[in-house]
Amino acid sequence: MERPLVEGDARLSAERRAVEASKPLSVPLLSFARSVAPPFLALAVAVGLWEAWVRLRAVPEYLVPAPSAIAQRLAEDPAFFARQGGVTLYGALAGFALGSTVAILLAVAMAHSRFLERSLFPLAIMVKVTPIVAIAPLLAVWFGFGLAPKLFIIALIVFFPVMVNAVIGLRSVNPWALQYLQSLAASPWEVLIKLRLPSALPYLFAAFKVSIPLSVIGAVVAEWFSGEKGLGRVIQVANSNVDMPTAFAAIVSLAALGVGLYLIVSLAERRLLSWHESAIDT
Amino acid sequence: MGNGLPPQVEARGLTKTFRNNGRTLTALADVSLSVAAGEFVAVIGPSGCGKTTLLRTIGGLLAPSSGSVRIAGETPTAASRAKQVGYVFQDASLLPWRTVLENVRLPLEVNRRNHASTHLRPERLLDLMRLEEFRDYYPRQLSGGMQQRVALARTLVFDPSLLLMDEPFGALDEITREAMRYELLRIWQSPLTNGGRRKTVVFVTHSIAEAVLLADRVAVLTAAPGRVKAAVEIDLPRPRTETTESSDEFRRYAAELRSLLRDN
Repeated sequence: MERPLVEGDARLSAERRAVEASKPLSVPLLSFARSVAPPFLALAVAVGLWEAWVRLRAVPEYLVPAPSAIAQRLAEDPAFFARQGGVTLYGALAGFALGSTVAILLAVAMAHSRFLERSLFPLAIMVKVTPIVAIAPLLAVWFGFGLAPKLFIIALIVFFPVMVNAVIGLRSVNPWALQYLQSLAASPWEVLIKLRLPSALPYLFAAFKVSIPLSVIGAVVAEWFSGEKGLGRVIQVANSNVDMPTAFAAIVSLAALGVGLYLIVSLAERRLLSWHESAIDT
Repeated sequence: MGNGLPPQVEARGLTKTFRNNGRTLTALADVSLSVAAGEFVAVIGPSGCGKTTLLRTIGGLLAPSSGSVRIAGETPTAASRAKQVGYVFQDASLLPWRTVLENVRLPLEVNRRNHASTHLRPERLLDLMRLEEFRDYYPRQLSGGMQQRVALARTLVFDPSLLLMDEPFGALDEITREAMRYELLRIWQSPLTNGGRRKTVVFVTHSIAEAVLLADRVAVLTAAPGRVKAAVEIDLPRPRTETTESSDEFRRYAAELRSLLRDN
């Protein structure tokens, strides 16, 4: 923590002045446009180059469809992609919730006991290095088709990053604050709620940002092997029919899903972590 | 120790050894200290003499290797559980996700079974600390001195009878430090926080001027292992002010402490 040389009020008023000076620039709409413009510009350039390349080289549609063909396919049947996307989204969210909950509960146990950490961590790593794609067909045999194998796969993928970060986060408490709570004879539960969980939030959000796109990938993998519905299934069927516009339209829908979920997590992070160093100057 | 009340803190024959990589380090060797109710005792000594260890042992955060501590006749653990002991550390240790007011409320939210019915209103305390404007600020928006004032308010809010202060101004710059000493005296003497009876304070410091200005009595510890070398009564009138600091008696006490520390 930085300690200013002179007692507070001077620094505070300097800060206040800085905030006021920056006010005319930080009109919400303008700052929103400013943060949104660069990615959209980059996207537009990439799509333009793709379209030009497909047209100029006359690339056949069964190899790479032009963006315009993909857009046309999406526009033809938006309800279809929305419905299939909804199935995938539902699975991804449910699996993410399941995996994160189990991970956080285990992390709480592990953060309180070195013995549990030592015995469970190697197991967690084994789970992590198991190639999901290899066991996915087996899961269909175990759990049948439908939601169960899907939840299992997604939860498995989401579990590890959340657990590792949660353990670190729950342990990364200010030792003085911990001592202060102990001097008040706070119970372990109170220490968890008042100190450990809030301290872990920045670590948890870092994990969520990694694992929420992973949950979409997990949903697609599950649908590929054992799904009857969902964008993963759509891609698989379109591939076997050499229907590339449909396959790519599904991929675009997936990308939109992933980006949307990531943005929601980022927004929640900004709301909840406004106190944290990572939120300053952004 | 003089005011006729039974001792609030009674530490007898405290010894604390730490084991580290097979080596044994004796931090405290047979330390006895008795503090009367309402007395302000400063503990001073060279770095690493076990001042902090002594304070933590008194407060029950560390168990002594031998010897005993009683706080108003109770064990330190029982006294902490009854919310009779308030700490202020060198680090303000505020929770960064809570506003100033929420930080001050923290002690009222934990260990609630033993709620002091007499707890002070957080808002009133912040007024007393001259922090009323900053209730809704986050700790990172405050300077070090202001953070430490919040930490003090947070500890006073549950109205403990004993304050254990571990170099609370040690991390502050010299100008802020001096201001905080008078601030502490003002608050300690304020009828709002003592309800007619001053709180007992054990104040660890390595500043001679701080010890003389604040304390009724200064315990001087030797270099490791820490022993009580001498206890000097500071017979200066209260309330103490800047004039106290420039008086001859003040300088005599400071010189006496300095020579006690030098002969270590």
